[in-house]
Amino acid sequence: MALMNVDLGGLSMKNPVTVASGTFAAGREYADFVDVAKLGAVTTKGVSLNGWEGNPGVRIAETPSGILNSIGLQNPGVEHLKEHDLPWLSGQGATVIVNVSGHSVQEYVSVIEALEESPVGAYEINISCPNVDAGGMAMGCSCASVEEVVGRCRTATERPLIVKLTPNVTDVTEIARAAEASGADALSLINTLLGMAVDIRTRRSVFSRVVGGLSGPAVRPVALRMVWQCSGAVSIPLLGMGGIATAEDAISFMLAGATAVAVGTANFANPHAAADVVDGIQAWCEEEGVEDVNELIGGLIC
Amino acid sequence: MGLEDMQARVHANKQLFENLWLMELECPSVAANIMPGQFVHLEVPDLQANILRRPFSIFDRDEDAGTVEVLYQAVGTGTRAMRTWEPGLVTRMIGCIGRPWEVPYDTERALLVGGGVGAAPLNLLCQELMASDVGVDVILGAQTEGALVCRARYERTCGREPACSTDDGTYGREGFATVLVEEALARAQAEGRPYDYAAVCGPEPLMRAASQLLMEAGVRCQVSLERRMACGVGACLSCVVDTASGKKRACVDGPIFDAEEVLWR
Repeated sequence: MALMNVDLGGLSMKNPVTVASGTFAAGREYADFVDVAKLGAVTTKGVSLNGWEGNPGVRIAETPSGILNSIGLQNPGVEHLKEHDLPWLSGQGATVIVNVSGHSVQEYVSVIEALEESPVGAYEINISCPNVDAGGMAMGCSCASVEEVVGRCRTATERPLIVKLTPNVTDVTEIARAAEASGADALSLINTLLGMAVDIRTRRSVFSRVVGGLSGPAVRPVALRMVWQCSGAVSIPLLGMGGIATAEDAISFMLAGATAVAVGTANFANPHAAADVVDGIQAWCEEEGVEDVNELIGGLIC
Repeated sequence: MGLEDMQARVHANKQLFENLWLMELECPSVAANIMPGQFVHLEVPDLQANILRRPFSIFDRDEDAGTVEVLYQAVGTGTRAMRTWEPGLVTRMIGCIGRPWEVPYDTERALLVGGGVGAAPLNLLCQELMASDVGVDVILGAQTEGALVCRARYERTCGREPACSTDDGTYGREGFATVLVEEALARAQAEGRPYDYAAVCGPEPLMRAASQLLMEAGVRCQVSLERRMACGVGACLSCVVDTASGKKRACVDGPIFDAEEVLWR
């Protein structure tokens, strides 16, 4: 059996596979399909301080080999997560990454503060959601705002801090370096690519906010390229995601420099996808004589 | 009952009228456990460009044979691809999903209203009500005679022909099914046997108008709602419906909702 455990910036994961925030709720909806304790970690849906209603109108559109979404971070707030979801995850034996969202720097900090006594393995700071007007991607596009929010979150916790980056920037490595310099322990990438779909009959965008976030296999090459770029730009570990549906996809991200990977949109097509990727990496390592999955990280030959 | 992701084998797949198709799938667990109003989330294999599953209600089942029937309208890439499925093709489906129709236990008379393919998720309910000796009246609406593809099945279940309307007047009453709803309400009232419960499924304007008439007449009314859906298990929050108590997921908080709680679009 190949060794499968990895260390993601201080978060010990039993294998390098988690799920992408927003695609797995807090795990309970998938409990009939996946033993959440089998995953390296469960990353929960973005949570804000007092909850958000999310966006009105159509929230999803299928696009070639992907989906556009405009959910808008609908969530019931951090107290609900603490009372209902974290105890359940803890009871299942899951390692938990909580995706933290906010409309302001203070809200990110307040969410972290609210969670400091709860069973959480790491925080993933969501400065990359394209579907909200304040916070989210608006904070992840300039080095100055990244430094501010990451710096403030850093002073709020000693726990591993993962910063989730948007691909919707000119140079992702600049943002990656800013996050690292401000105290990030790891980086997640990528969040969704900004996209759009038009209903030609109504001459309107499909979405109320006009734009949406593209995910799924369609974005995988872009995500892979950005993971590879960032692996050369920072020394903290990377959590790679973007269209990963199979063990082969996951391994390619690890070779490009990811320490761990997240399965996202693939969960919608195959509810066992995350567990299948864990099994598939294990099987591949055994076939290839890889004794420790850590050997794969950054193993790309250029 | 938990959810399962199961293999489903195509037994038959035939065109009923224009873009209306009926598929029979072998899936014993769904055939045994489906409750009227629930649905399955079906994978459409080998469509590289279309990665999501598609939700379908169950039109009928044969528990002994382990088969279920899905009535579908070929309107998009997924359903158009399904037309080509031959017997023997194996796919997967998640089932049995969602909140079923909830008929109050003391119901003596029920009205079922189906518009277009909306007739599909009412058939199992009709069977269940008939089996428990509830008086059932069925109203079916469609664009034209040929599209009334469920008529014979309901006739078999109920022992009499459902009341029908067509938009073009080629069969039954010309116009929308709501006219028949008004008449049914008046008749039931005149007979001294008013409806205790109504179930409506079809285009949203029909559900809205019919449920309004029914609620005004004091009938408890439920509707089956559909939204663009990704996961089908309650995780992604794509398929939310606006209700009096906030946003609810069409997949697992529905698809059946009390009409009075729905804030129509």
